[in-house]
Amino acid sequence: MTSAPALDISGLTVRYGETVAVDGLDLTVPAGQTVALLGPNGAGKSTTVNAVLGLLRPDAGRIQVLGRTPLDAIRAGSVGAMLQHGGLPSEARVGEVIDLVRRSFPTAWPLDDLVATAGIEGLLARPVDALSGGQRQRVLLALALAGEPPLLLLDEPTSAMDVEGRRAFWTTMRGLAGRGHTVVFATHHLEEADAVADRVVVVAGGRVVADGSAAQLKAGGATRRISFTAGPGQDLDALPAVRSSSRQGSTVTLTTADAEATLRALLADGTPLPDLEVRGASLEDAVLTLTSSATTIGARS
Amino acid sequence: MNPLFAFQLRRVARNRQYLVFTVVLPALFTIFFTKIFGGMASGPGEYQRQAALYMVSMMAYGGLGAALGATIRISFDRASGWLRQLRVTPVPQTQVLAVDVAVGALLTLPSLVVVALVGRFVNDVQLGLGQWLALVGVLWAGAITFVALGILLGLALDEKAAGGAMGFVGVVLATLGGLWAPVEVFPDSLRTLAHAMPSYWYAELGRDVAAGAVPSGTAVVVLAGFTAAFALLAVAVARHRPLHAVAG
Repeated sequence: MTSAPALDISGLTVRYGETVAVDGLDLTVPAGQTVALLGPNGAGKSTTVNAVLGLLRPDAGRIQVLGRTPLDAIRAGSVGAMLQHGGLPSEARVGEVIDLVRRSFPTAWPLDDLVATAGIEGLLARPVDALSGGQRQRVLLALALAGEPPLLLLDEPTSAMDVEGRRAFWTTMRGLAGRGHTVVFATHHLEEADAVADRVVVVAGGRVVADGSAAQLKAGGATRRISFTAGPGQDLDALPAVRSSSRQGSTVTLTTADAEATLRALLADGTPLPDLEVRGASLEDAVLTLTSSATTIGARS
Repeated sequence: MNPLFAFQLRRVARNRQYLVFTVVLPALFTIFFTKIFGGMASGPGEYQRQAALYMVSMMAYGGLGAALGATIRISFDRASGWLRQLRVTPVPQTQVLAVDVAVGALLTLPSLVVVALVGRFVNDVQLGLGQWLALVGVLWAGAITFVALGILLGLALDEKAAGGAMGFVGVVLATLGGLWAPVEVFPDSLRTLAHAMPSYWYAELGRDVAAGAVPSGTAVVVLAGFTAAFALLAVAVARHRPLHAVAG
């Protein structure tokens, strides 16, 4: 079909007054990928999503959605979106809202299948005002899918869900990717990015600070954690390959890029190391390392 | 029928409060005021004059209340995020606005017709068939001023303020515009204020028709001016208030 990427963002910059929310962000998503935009609150994820949807006007940069401008892509029915604090109308029934949105797209997802995919069985006759938080999210997902759009943008889709609902939702999202949809979702749950995405884009301070598979990020960020019990006064930051150190009571935790080099140096000076433990860093460690350094850079500039 | 139009119409029609305040209440007031003031009339001619006057005033009150009530609701859709959600569907924005105008305009009609029927069959107001049609017609057309005002308020006010404004603005416009008590009994300063109200000129359209005349040019020009001003302000407000949540 078309060779245009599902999403092509270059140099995107958005300011709210003095605050720079998105700072020259570049991102290209080929068709068919499932991409997590991962970052803390205020990293610029939602702003990026809103700009891609044409809901705000960027101060600089270029956005192409399947080779079109955001507004043209939406008018053509190429994009389905689940917004953060997404809205459903009062005084309406779920089925009426879904019917309205399905009819607005050039092609509609067959209703029975849409209901099953979004997991809203038995909710069509229900008044919107009578839905629970998780049910609302699923109805909003159904609206995003209603027109069978090639690109799906989901902004923190599981934020109102309990653990069980969240896991069911991940299964749904993986299913969408299996059908060939390009899925871009913002999240601050590492577990979610790890479970669903085949590519994780870490955003901090309005920029992309890391981009790769969850496994690559885990390997490329902080690799190992060493913890042991130590008395005060030891200069631990001077040890080779140590990226950061923290102390909780007498327990010291070092994050290191080369566990072997750090351990050799620790053992070399003969200090006893009670309760020594060496562990692989989690994706969380990797992201925390990445986003905290980006924040420090941002604060300095 | 346009799917969005049908959808919006169904939503408002579900609201019983809306029907009570815009149809039942003006109809009851028409009977109430006519019983009081018509009962004091010196003769049948005077009764006809009073009964027609109150009927027109209550048609105007019902019409402007219905137009405002149907459109100020935009604020709720904005607060719930529904307007934003619609923005990310292929429904054109111009259609969303056009539907709000059309729904506001259409929902004005029931209150005009019901109050007119009450005037004719309960209060025995005597007008020619052409006059009846013209009366409903001019008040229906003139309601566009309040559709524009309602859209402006709906876009400008947050949810809570909008809820209050729905009842309050209609009552203030009715009171100051001389729909409860005619401006003839107002002191001079209040009468000047009444003449600055779109509601006064709106009812004036109906009073002219009920008196067998053509609506005055002044009333038409003033209402057109108010409509244009409200519409321009609404566009300005819509441009300056983004629909996205400023966070993240």
